[in-house]
Amino acid sequence: MNNTNLKDIEKRTYISYHQDGLLDIFIGTYILLFGIGILLQTITDFSTWFVIPAIFPALMVPIWMSAKKKITIPRIGYVKMGNKGSNKIMAVFIGTAVAGLGMFMLVSFGSNLDWAVAIKDQIISNSMIIIGIAGITICSIFAYSTGLKRLYAYGLITFIIFITGYFVSIPFAYFLLTIGTIITISGFILLWQFIKKHPLIDGGIVSDK
Amino acid sequence: MTNDPAKLKKINRLIHEPTRLTIMMQLYVVESADFLFLLNQLQMTPGNLSSHLSKLEEAGYVDIVKEFIERKPHTALQLTKKGREAFKEYKKNLKQVFIDLPKTPKK
Repeated sequence: MNNTNLKDIEKRTYISYHQDGLLDIFIGTYILLFGIGILLQTITDFSTWFVIPAIFPALMVPIWMSAKKKITIPRIGYVKMGNKGSNKIMAVFIGTAVAGLGMFMLVSFGSNLDWAVAIKDQIISNSMIIIGIAGITICSIFAYSTGLKRLYAYGLITFIIFITGYFVSIPFAYFLLTIGTIITISGFILLWQFIKKHPLIDGGIVSDK
Repeated sequence: MTNDPAKLKKINRLIHEPTRLTIMMQLYVVESADFLFLLNQLQMTPGNLSSHLSKLEEAGYVDIVKEFIERKPHTALQLTKKGREAFKEYKKNLKQVFIDLPKTPKK
């Protein structure tokens, strides 16, 4: 037994707790709503797309916790992971948020600086490639740190779709709708498999007594 | 194996038992887990898991909290500070035994 084995156990534990597909359903739905919001904005000329992604996470957390409580915990039990794992995920979240905010600031307020304008032009003209690379990088980091291998596939799909978008002229919302639909469907398939694999025992074994 | 029997004597026998070792390993990597989760992860029978947990609880390595959640009995488990220290010590001692193992002579 060494540290690698303990890390394997930690990863296996994390994977088994997220094999229910709920995470995929919520992430997929979030991307899907983002796409719908952008699409609505172009159709109705109303800035709803700011509202949808802003409200959804606030609703998502209690719904996700409730779904875990009703579907996952009665079937496979409850586990609280240590801080180490969640710190790693939080670091990726913060890193992604800071990079995104930096890019947003540069594009929004960088018009007074020559170098910023040059970078901004590059970002805008290559935005599809940048989003594709960001997608595959973030998914790969999450996949590596959590052990959830299907995130590699999501990253690859995101990369392929956005690179295709660089060459094909289709509204941006459709790319998000495609990715969101794929991830959501994948989540529902995982949920179906999970429920089949772990049927609810009458009353459940939740105690040794 | 090591030439020094004293090093082998340092190995904690309570933890060294394979089933209890897997329980300790599983609880070591998480903050807490419940009885059902351990049962699923370790593929054990309720009786077997329960008896090993009792031994670990007696040694003060595992904290077992029995409660009722929505009128159903629920058993929450976590390693105590003593249990974590004992497991770290066990890991260190076991590693030491194999570090001292002489290389296999060439035939």
